[in-house]
Amino acid sequence: MFFIFVQGFGLNGIVPPFDVGNGRVISYSLFLAAGAVTLTVINGGTNAGTQLWFDRKNGMFEQLLMGPFTRAQYILSIIFATLIIGVAGSLLVFGFAFPVLGASFAPTWEGAVLIAGALFLGTMFFGAFAIALSVVLKSSETFQIVSTFAFFIFLFTSSVFFPASAAPTAIQAASLANPLTYTTDIFRAGLFNAVTPTVSLELGVLAIEAAAMFVIAVIAFRRIRV
Amino acid sequence: MAGEQVVRVDELSRHFGDKVAVDRVSFDIGRSEVFGFLGPNGAGKTTTIKMLTTLLPPTSGRATVLGHDLKTEGRKIRAQIGVVQQQDSFDQGLNVETSMDIYGLIWYVPKAERRRRIDELIGHFEMEEFRKMPTVDLSAGQRRRLQVAREFIHDMDLLFLDEPTVGLDPIVRRSVLDYLKQRVREGLTIFFTTHILEEAEYLCNRIAVINQGRIVQIDTPENLKRRFGSAKAVEFKLLQGTSSEMASALSSSPSVSRFGRDEGSGAYRVTTTRPESVIPEIYRLADRLSLTVSSIYISETTLEDAFINLVTEDEKAVANGGRSA
Repeated sequence: MFFIFVQGFGLNGIVPPFDVGNGRVISYSLFLAAGAVTLTVINGGTNAGTQLWFDRKNGMFEQLLMGPFTRAQYILSIIFATLIIGVAGSLLVFGFAFPVLGASFAPTWEGAVLIAGALFLGTMFFGAFAIALSVVLKSSETFQIVSTFAFFIFLFTSSVFFPASAAPTAIQAASLANPLTYTTDIFRAGLFNAVTPTVSLELGVLAIEAAAMFVIAVIAFRRIRV
Repeated sequence: MAGEQVVRVDELSRHFGDKVAVDRVSFDIGRSEVFGFLGPNGAGKTTTIKMLTTLLPPTSGRATVLGHDLKTEGRKIRAQIGVVQQQDSFDQGLNVETSMDIYGLIWYVPKAERRRRIDELIGHFEMEEFRKMPTVDLSAGQRRRLQVAREFIHDMDLLFLDEPTVGLDPIVRRSVLDYLKQRVREGLTIFFTTHILEEAEYLCNRIAVINQGRIVQIDTPENLKRRFGSAKAVEFKLLQGTSSEMASALSSSPSVSRFGRDEGSGAYRVTTTRPESVIPEIYRLADRLSLTVSSIYISETTLEDAFINLVTEDEKAVANGGRSA
């Protein structure tokens, strides 16, 4: 909300409306509002790692591992819980911000699929990333510090605040590997009907990154000493 | 089914680096049996439970639980067992009732059945007064009660209880043990660890004593007492309360294997294989020190004596390198 109503409105006067693809020209505040919605995906990831820490601290982690399900199912359940919270957060931001910004939308099936895919895959990547971090790091304090630092890097090398093409060359290169860039770009493409031929490629890259991170999280998770 | 083996363990071991936590243990547990697993701290009890509940893979050896192979059929095993861990396990955001409800949901117990069982268990475990209280605000004993009760929300054939009565007062403890007995009569099998040997004696059909990762002995409580608990306890009180001279003399007596004083009752407790010579000695010492023995009696040998003897002898054997392979 801070980003949308303070930063967005503040910079609207000096940043002219620009094309986000497919000839769709939008204001900076709308551009940023879409980025702020995908930020909830990163917050959800932190929640997933924190949830695992709480479960370990309170003994529920071992208790659940002795239940009638697999470790992969346990990870998935955390990620789905994160997804629900993330989507609820996104809807909240969306519901407050977009009417105020005066945006009008013409929702399409293609756009809805892209929005859902971006939120799902983004949550999966960042949830799995946070889970893998929380397994590797030995204390909850270290987890908080490292995850906050890592998420800042993800944030500032992505297209949440500005189009990646406008960033310095080094950040442009980093943004190509950054799943938050793809999450945000796909989300914007779906929201503003700005679908370009590269969106399906971005969706493919994001899906591969999310699947790879999930596998890494499962492998790390299996190595937890109980 | 009479005589059916619910657990079969064959030479099961678990190493952590160079440390051998569990060393080639073997035992069987029959249906509707309460199998006690007793040992000093760090003996390997919890590690054995973690292996049998599929939490830890064994380093070597084989085991089947409820007919399923431990290494390859973990999920089938977990679907048929219940576990109350030694450590606390609770969800701090929930109250007692919701915590039980969510736990039942995880185990796929239908909603109506969950409601029925929650009411029944809250009654059995006397948790009515704190059923709406957040779990984070419970006392250690209340939380323990919840942890044991919660496990009965789902069906199971085998229950692992790792020191389930720690922190419970004697009245609640007895009611928990009686509830467990009732469930055993209905067909449940229990794997039970505790440091309270009276409750092991009260509940268990057979007991395995484990020390330094190895099983030292398996037998019924009666046989363990008969075979390894030859000592008897002579308890006495002095009218004067305490006497350091009396304590010093009895501690060094060759007839006395252990000597101590119960701070609660104020009684001295002498463990001996020769009570017929220790009792006159107590009276002789009292006479010489101008003390009056206000009460004295001999108690039968206890499981605790048998347990201590077994573990002590095993420690000596280990120290002398004489433990059998």
